[in-house]
Amino acid sequence: MMQTKSKVAALLAIALSVSGAYAHAEEDFVGWLLNFQRQKNVRPVTDKQYQEECGGCHFAYQPGLLPAKSWEVLLNANALRKHFGVNAELDDDTLKVIHDYAVDNAADKSWYKRSRKIAVATEEGPAPLRITELRYISLKHHEIPEKMIKGNKGVKSLSFCDKCHTQAAKGVYDADTVDIPNYPNWDGWFNK
Amino acid sequence: MEWRFKVVNIAAGICLAALSGMVYADNTAVNPALPTAASFYTNNFQSLKSRSLDAQSFNSQSFNSSSYLLATNEDDALLGQEGMTTVTPATDFKPPLMSGRKAHQYLGLGTVALAGLTMLAAPGEGCDHNCPPASQQPPRQTSGTTHTRLARATAAMAIATVMTGLIYHWDDIHWEDAFTDPDKMHARLAAAGALLMLYAVEKSAHSTVPTSHAGIAELGAAAMVVAIKLTW
Repeated sequence: MMQTKSKVAALLAIALSVSGAYAHAEEDFVGWLLNFQRQKNVRPVTDKQYQEECGGCHFAYQPGLLPAKSWEVLLNANALRKHFGVNAELDDDTLKVIHDYAVDNAADKSWYKRSRKIAVATEEGPAPLRITELRYISLKHHEIPEKMIKGNKGVKSLSFCDKCHTQAAKGVYDADTVDIPNYPNWDGWFNK
Repeated sequence: MEWRFKVVNIAAGICLAALSGMVYADNTAVNPALPTAASFYTNNFQSLKSRSLDAQSFNSQSFNSSSYLLATNEDDALLGQEGMTTVTPATDFKPPLMSGRKAHQYLGLGTVALAGLTMLAAPGEGCDHNCPPASQQPPRQTSGTTHTRLARATAAMAIATVMTGLIYHWDDIHWEDAFTDPDKMHARLAAAGALLMLYAVEKSAHSTVPTSHAGIAELGAAAMVVAIKLTW
């Protein structure tokens, strides 16, 4: 009986610590461990300037989709002059804000699951510059026929995440939230 | 008695897995919104033709990489077809309330909840003081109690969780991934947890004397909790 009581007390203690952990940030391991909120995907963009500057031209990719070393290479004055073939120069102050935000929230500094997967997979080797070139991302999409992406006028490219991932802006990339234009209800290899 | 227990456990696991699969199937295969085979290819063909008209805006690599487009290079057929393109308009897409992946999630959470209830329903160790000799103690109950029923249900649900995980998240696990990949760790821990719980149930069910199975079961439940947290 005493053993049961002590187990119940332990459960209550855990429940209390978990319920009180909402205020914890995800900076450290303990904070992550005691955080009961869902962190399955990637941290959504919270910086208004980042959202406006990057989102002005393309989908504002969450920093957690690339490791810090990639953002270091991508977000500097020289690189932005030739940002995937386009001049995307920013003034120094804006660039610093965006650079710092991206690096601080990069995949290797996040506890979100998909970010951790990307961080682990890109730990070694050169900095990947395109999200679509990440092995994790390409493996997750390799089962989708090209006709549904490049051959689909509603999508055109894998880089337009939000065309199919209906909650991409919130950082949610779950398969259940995918809605491929022109291919309603398609769901992976079950519908192949 | 032994075979009956095994059959019940296996049947419960299969039923739970099948149930989740049926719910998933109900959401997809029976959905009337799914295109017929004919419309499927018609829509695709129309969108490809329009895409070909916009080919100049594509880089050559993406254009050439689509083998399907090679069949649509008849310019005469492509002209004047742009207006016929059928692109599904952006609708208020709502994720399904139930799917195979969600069934896996609910089964995992259910397993942990049931494991907690099983622990709470555990019978005491018997008497603490002035205990009668073992020969005079009532026979040990290995079935029919709330604790044993909950334990078997927990083990069955744990197996169903692992099965649905393998089915619906198979594409999240790759041999090339690092050992510390979150999905790999999740799968390893959850499978170990399920096996430990199953072993605890088996060990206790086949023993006529009190056995130390609680620690094994608790370790299994803890492994399940950590596995869930890793991908939560």
